[in-house]
Amino acid sequence: MKPESLSNLQRVLSDGKFAVTAECGPPRGTDPEIIRRKGELLREHADAVNVTDNQTAIVRMSSIAACVHLSAMGLEPVMQMVTRDRNRIALQSDILGAYSLGIRNILCLSGDHQTFGSQPDAMNVFDIDSVNLVHMVKVMKTDGKDMSGFDLISSPKMFIGAAANPFADPFEYRVVRLAKKIDAGADFIQTQCVYNLERFKEWMRLAREEGLTEKVHILAGITPLKSEGMAKYMAKKVAGMDVPESVIKRMGGAPKGKAAEEGLDICLETIAALREIKGVHGIHIMAIEWEETVGRIVEAAGLSPRPQAA
Amino acid sequence: MIKIYKPQITLFHCINAFDNCAPLTVSSVGAFELKMVKMACSSMVKDVFLLRAFEAGADAVAVFVCPEGQCRYVEGNIRAKKRVNFIRNLLDEIGLGGRRLSLHNVECGDIEAAGRILQQVLSDINDMGPNPAK
Amino acid sequence: MIVGKQKSIAEIREIVSPYKKLLVLGCGTCVKTCFAGGEDEVATLSSALRLSFKKDGRSIYIEELTVERQCEDEFIREAAVAISKNTAVLSLACGAGVQAIARRFANVPVLPGVNTTFIGVLEKQGLFTEECLGCGDCQLAVFGGVCPVSRCAKKLQNGPCGGSRSGKCEINPETDCAWQQIINRLTALGQLDNLRKYNPPKDWRTSHAGGPRKLVREDHVI
Repeated sequence: MKPESLSNLQRVLSDGKFAVTAECGPPRGTDPEIIRRKGELLREHADAVNVTDNQTAIVRMSSIAACVHLSAMGLEPVMQMVTRDRNRIALQSDILGAYSLGIRNILCLSGDHQTFGSQPDAMNVFDIDSVNLVHMVKVMKTDGKDMSGFDLISSPKMFIGAAANPFADPFEYRVVRLAKKIDAGADFIQTQCVYNLERFKEWMRLAREEGLTEKVHILAGITPLKSEGMAKYMAKKVAGMDVPESVIKRMGGAPKGKAAEEGLDICLETIAALREIKGVHGIHIMAIEWEETVGRIVEAAGLSPRPQAA
Repeated sequence: MIKIYKPQITLFHCINAFDNCAPLTVSSVGAFELKMVKMACSSMVKDVFLLRAFEAGADAVAVFVCPEGQCRYVEGNIRAKKRVNFIRNLLDEIGLGGRRLSLHNVECGDIEAAGRILQQVLSDINDMGPNPAK
Repeated sequence: MIVGKQKSIAEIREIVSPYKKLLVLGCGTCVKTCFAGGEDEVATLSSALRLSFKKDGRSIYIEELTVERQCEDEFIREAAVAISKNTAVLSLACGAGVQAIARRFANVPVLPGVNTTFIGVLEKQGLFTEECLGCGDCQLAVFGGVCPVSRCAKKLQNGPCGGSRSGKCEINPETDCAWQQIINRLTALGQLDNLRKYNPPKDWRTSHAGGPRKLVREDHVI
């Protein structure tokens, strides 16, 4: 059994370096080549790569399996885990299995409701919520116990992440919820993608006031916009997303065929601003199905090369 | 003796719209049977009464109510409208045809308007044919 | 009350078509209040069924009866004679009533005419809302009288989730976010600090997940 080791992401953050994580979605099928191709595009541009868990409640290759394919090619995965589809028994079991397969980072989420997906007739689980999941993984790490109190023969010591959305309602309560996740055991936070810098700065200020930035590593979310249409869609149709009018206007005002360039400019400006905010310890780039831009963004932002794994 | 088919209309009306519908039975279109049901307020058209009219052999059922805003019980005509709509949908689902049931706002005592409406109903019956559940 | 909705006429026809003599049995309590299976609904449905069968040249004999409740013997007994005279019973009670009748009159098919949905209230005229799903371990004191189990689509104990938007739930813009309601209510009560406390995973043993439940009151049994 491999001795426990710090995850690469944990090491980068503990060393006080500005971290970069990226994201990729597993295929709607069994072909691991698809994941490997995405992995190759992200190699060396991120300290760790999130792998989603049946995102939007649509059946995809499992997060654990896709994470193992990434590990096998030398990348470090962050296994996302939602509580929508599995009860506490299955979740704990999967965490033990994931750790045994070398996975060291986990992002704990509740998950999109199944009515969004391709099988809205399915039963959901939601036996526990994301905060419970964070706590569960924390107890396994610090006490070596499962939820029944049983002393695990050897226990997983995951680097524990949770999500935060500075843009969802109710605004005043968001920092309270962040505090709860930190108290439950979160080591790092990845936020919803940032377009409204003012609102994000305000949220960070409240987080700093509560002393939360001393206790957790916050990675701000970044998603490059491809088109005005995408900006409008995200503004109107995606829950918990804040895309200011000014951003939509910029995307709309770009010359024909140059919208994506404008999107990348906005992205780089946002990253530069985020690096100035005290308490932001990294960025989480979500360029789903546009993974090739991650390398460009990381380089143009001056975040290349990434710290080498020890 | 051969029984001649005469279309049968059941008319529910509130006494505030008409207190006497007898003049309506004389029509220039042709003979038809008119059954009249007087109610204190048109809101009293319970769902089941409308259906039982069809069970009793009506080819069409018409409901006369006071114009909107003029119901002496304030919402009676609105309730009647809601009930009529509900049963129209049910009649469509059964396959009898919701068109056989209709609601009309009629000014108090306007016999001529009433006559015109009944002629239209007769014309509808002619289109649709007799009640298939007779 | 228990809230339900009458099945479509097409589905009911399908269910009752094998039978020649049908008793349509209504219930005067919950289903009457939500306009699914009370006396009026029994009359309307019976009339609609007769018309529907007659239209297809079929005859069906329908008897109509409504009892106060179909979940207590005292009232179920009143239906015994009518049941004995018919070849099937279409019960418009909630699922509990249908089963109670079926258990006591096991020789006659007892068929459901209503889809039972939730435990709820008449929020305002014509609007029934789901309030409780019978988890068996009520924590409404913690949550300011708003239940996150029945009214949060994800049953979150430490909500809200990231999809709460303008006080509405991500699954439907017309559905209130229960956690927004909880926060509003606790704020009004000056008890928002309740929510700083970590709520552990719910013990589902007392809910249906623990298996079909029963309640025995020894103090009421001779």
